[in-house]
Amino acid sequence: MRNCFAASGAILAAALIVSSSALAQDTPTRRPGQVDQRPPSVYEKMANAGPGGPAPIHDLNGFWNGPLEPKFGDTPSLTPLGQSKFKLNIPDPFSAHSNDPWRTCDPLGFPRSATNETRGLAFAQMPQGIVIMTQYQKIWRMVWMDGRELPKNLGTRGGPSSRWYGYSVGHWDGDNTLVVETTGVDDKTWIDRRGYPHSVDMHVEERYTRIDRNDLELTVTIDDAKMYTKPFVAATNKFKFTPQQQEDEQLCVPSEAIDYLNTIAIPAGQDEIVGQK
Amino acid sequence: MRRRSVSSFVYVASLLLSIPLFAHHGNTAYDTSKAVVLKGATVTKFVWGNPHTFLMFDVKDDKGNVVHWAGEAGSPSSLGLLGWSKDSVQPGEVITVYMYQSKTGRTVGRLNRIVLADGTVLKDSALGYREP
Repeated sequence: MRNCFAASGAILAAALIVSSSALAQDTPTRRPGQVDQRPPSVYEKMANAGPGGPAPIHDLNGFWNGPLEPKFGDTPSLTPLGQSKFKLNIPDPFSAHSNDPWRTCDPLGFPRSATNETRGLAFAQMPQGIVIMTQYQKIWRMVWMDGRELPKNLGTRGGPSSRWYGYSVGHWDGDNTLVVETTGVDDKTWIDRRGYPHSVDMHVEERYTRIDRNDLELTVTIDDAKMYTKPFVAATNKFKFTPQQQEDEQLCVPSEAIDYLNTIAIPAGQDEIVGQK
Repeated sequence: MRRRSVSSFVYVASLLLSIPLFAHHGNTAYDTSKAVVLKGATVTKFVWGNPHTFLMFDVKDDKGNVVHWAGEAGSPSSLGLLGWSKDSVQPGEVITVYMYQSKTGRTVGRLNRIVLADGTVLKDSALGYREP
């Protein structure tokens, strides 16, 4: 089964090389043979919008548009435990054998909500914190900015329980960078679509830097000594301030996803075609 | 009513080959070298959902048997840019479907485009659509 995924990975890598611009965070360029039939998204239309002026201080409020996917960062170095967990995670929602939680629209969890379908993002200032909202699945994360510490003894008897989106605290680094620290994420969730695992002790740092009025850059770094031999950048992304301040509704609905699997994905026979039994 | 593999009622049209595009869902299962053309397709269900929109429809084969087909297309976000909406097509409508069929021969596939009764053409997103 893993061989199949290794093959799929090779195909994926080749496809990425061929069509890297489809994932690029700037306006795609046309490839040889590609038909120019897809109108640009709001994000792509914003590619040449310019900076729009200086970034306001300590202010990310509003809707931001992103690309379909971020850029994955470093290839992580797994510990033996991480390797064993990684082998259990079988990506690809098209495969009848996949156990990707996304396949049936289970909650993405964090940081997968920042590495999967990143077309829309929003920030809202609250009295004691900032709410980060993700368009896909209408995810709401509270980031406490009041100086409290992250919880300890997570997932132990008497300690706080892990959660799909963990616990987050934040602070400003300089005028324009919001740093968010998160831990306590349920270890059922994956870091990204490739199936990288994490423990409940995983520590995630998000750094959102507003470089001007219209541009926001994100780096997601993971430190999880149980699963990885050293911290690594899981993803980077670039967002544009949305002129109309409107988001799309993007929901992955479990009943529809299961209907899709049974009606399309499984009968289509991808596993048979690539030789997976 | 029953499912059948592609048979003589299917007119196979060759379409231009182009470099496959990477999207967040694969196209491995489908024969994208040619599209089958299904005329007189009666829509039975249209699901406007994630990760992919899909269409179910019935087509009579050359013996008059009704064959069930299903074709997937892009996500609502990508199809919305191309003029589709949740209400683009309704059960009972009779349309023409251009589709890349599963290499298994089962009557499922990836839509290339559909043509409504009034002539409106709705193209799939980048993974499915190629210029004829």
